[in-house]
Amino acid sequence: MSELLEQVTTIIRDVFGDDEVTVTETSSAEDVDGWDSLMHLNLVIALEKRFGIRFSTAEISLMKEEGQNLGTILNLIRAKKGISA
Amino acid sequence: MTRTIDAEPTETVRGAGENQPADDAVAQFRAQISPEMDFTRASGAVRRLAKFRREGAKSPVSARVAVLGNTTTSQLAGLLDLFLFGQGVDAEIYEAPYGLLRQEILDPTSELYQFAPQFVFLATTRRDLNMPRASDTPELVDEALEASAGEWERLWQTLHDRTGCQIVQNNFDAPPWRAFGNIELSQSGAAGNFIDRVNHDLARRAPRWVSVHDLDGLAQQVGRWNWGDERFFHLAKLPCAPEHLTIYAHNVATLIGARLGRSRKCLVLDLDNTLWGGVIGDDGLAGINLGQGDAIGEAFVAFQRYAKTLAERGVILAVCSKNEDANAREPFEKHAEMVLKLEDISCFVANWEDKAANLHRIAQELNIGVDALVFVDDNPAERALVRQLLPQVATPEIPTDPADYVRAVAQHRFFEVISLSNEDFQRTEMYRANAQRRQIASDVGDLNDFLRSLDMRAWVGPVGDLELDRTVQLIGKSNQFNLTTRRHSAGDVQAMLADPAWETRVIKLADRFGDNGLISVLLARADGDTLLIDTWLMSCRVLKRGVEQMALNHLAELARARGLTSLTGEYIPTAKNVLVLNHYADLGFTQASADADGRTVWRLELNDAWTPFVHHIHEERP
Repeated sequence: MSELLEQVTTIIRDVFGDDEVTVTETSSAEDVDGWDSLMHLNLVIALEKRFGIRFSTAEISLMKEEGQNLGTILNLIRAKKGISA
Repeated sequence: MTRTIDAEPTETVRGAGENQPADDAVAQFRAQISPEMDFTRASGAVRRLAKFRREGAKSPVSARVAVLGNTTTSQLAGLLDLFLFGQGVDAEIYEAPYGLLRQEILDPTSELYQFAPQFVFLATTRRDLNMPRASDTPELVDEALEASAGEWERLWQTLHDRTGCQIVQNNFDAPPWRAFGNIELSQSGAAGNFIDRVNHDLARRAPRWVSVHDLDGLAQQVGRWNWGDERFFHLAKLPCAPEHLTIYAHNVATLIGARLGRSRKCLVLDLDNTLWGGVIGDDGLAGINLGQGDAIGEAFVAFQRYAKTLAERGVILAVCSKNEDANAREPFEKHAEMVLKLEDISCFVANWEDKAANLHRIAQELNIGVDALVFVDDNPAERALVRQLLPQVATPEIPTDPADYVRAVAQHRFFEVISLSNEDFQRTEMYRANAQRRQIASDVGDLNDFLRSLDMRAWVGPVGDLELDRTVQLIGKSNQFNLTTRRHSAGDVQAMLADPAWETRVIKLADRFGDNGLISVLLARADGDTLLIDTWLMSCRVLKRGVEQMALNHLAELARARGLTSLTGEYIPTAKNVLVLNHYADLGFTQASADADGRTVWRLELNDAWTPFVHHIHEERP
């Protein structure tokens, strides 16, 4: 598991209040209990704060679209933090 | 013979029904709910609250609260519930469907009325306001103002007539941008100007059953560009940037709490390094840092001014300090820069008892609950003690920089009021008159638990090169916990180190709050069959934590190692060391002699019956 995925997993566990959650780059909202649009926002807020980054309105919309998954979010973070995949 | 350093508790200070561990956990959780939490932590706390509720956690009061808004209110409602719980209120919350604010109020058959709220929170924002056009004439703008304010007034009346509820209504947050730039406030059609006028109008029109929540004030406090995060409005119709939802919800909760009588009433202040810089008992009147000419001294004055303003609007002030009473009062009576005077303080407690017991006593004397107290102390160990033993007392985190003290207290909005009467302005006087000095048991439960939880680690060893400077400094300035006040010089101490008759020990103490550094000095010399204690001093900051007992154990060990059969101690009274008048008696010494000038000599026989004291400090030796 990449270091970034580990960090994001920790944040997801924190946001969802569930230490058992496991995710991969291909996980999507349907794979995680309680990942509705409200929790999605909570996650975005936590990611911005922990990584010190800012997603654009378009990026936040994109993450929620059909066919997107956690990999989309990780790639956005990588691009903003200059981390190679 | 086994001794422990603390008397057994004779009375616990917990409230009725809070004797089970589960209740303790709830009390600690409640005490941790703070507007300083960030959004993610606060959201986690909302989940924990749900869990505590399932386990049957209850609050002193309950309330039915409806939340109506034309923005997304779900996060806000959850946080409102959390902060109400923090104030001892169990809220049942009805969240009206998104965007139906006016319909829910106007339709007599709406779910809102079936819910029968005691409180209705109208979570409005500037987007609920019908704004005039920028080009409208002043007359048209006046009409728009009347129409807007009038509409809210009618909505309040309808709600109140149908339910008898109390209402909390946001005023309107002006946008950060100003289309008219610097002439915004002179243009009647400009948004900034219009919103300003509506807000003043609402405050004026609000009947006593309506509280106007100052949303615009909150936006200003945060900074208008930071307050709004337009992304989250466009994406999810959040009323402000998510990170500010916490202080927003907290602010509304304090208003509702005030209407339920949950506001705090009394600000209890520590003295040394809280109201002035330094330690009055050691540094003296001229030595404390307070007042103009020094940045730190000015910061303490500013904090005193804030406390004074609170007192003027009816908040009771009390003092809770570890000091000799006369020393503690001296700055109030004689220091020219003191803003607070003795007549501002309704209850003044300065002694060497632990602070949880003293806070209990302050509440009794003022005849208010301990849950009406806010305790401000720069010392993290004192705060931890109070949080542990009296979680009902609000004990905010206090930063190390006195310039930040006002904010540290003000941000909690402890003393929210609905309105002020003449009586409020006279309250300090009233409480002073009513305060009765009642004797109460001074011991509180679980002091040993607290001392254990401090995780104290001590280094005890002879004065070495590293310790010499600080040792001499302490010898030169310690006044209160100083048995003989002999001001030995560096040369004197070095001579002792070279003389085989002398024993030296210094103690460094760290705890879970950090390193206290070198806090105690012991100098003794063999004299016949006894070890004569020439100097015993200690920083008052670590008083009554077991350091005294640990130090005695070391002296006894040194004496026994030399084949000496007793310890001899002296007490030489000064103007400042009455604190240690009974030091040797408390440690089990017997008085051997007394001089006419008050000097006493004490002896402890180190026979087989004497065993070392038990304490809660982990010792390291060089």
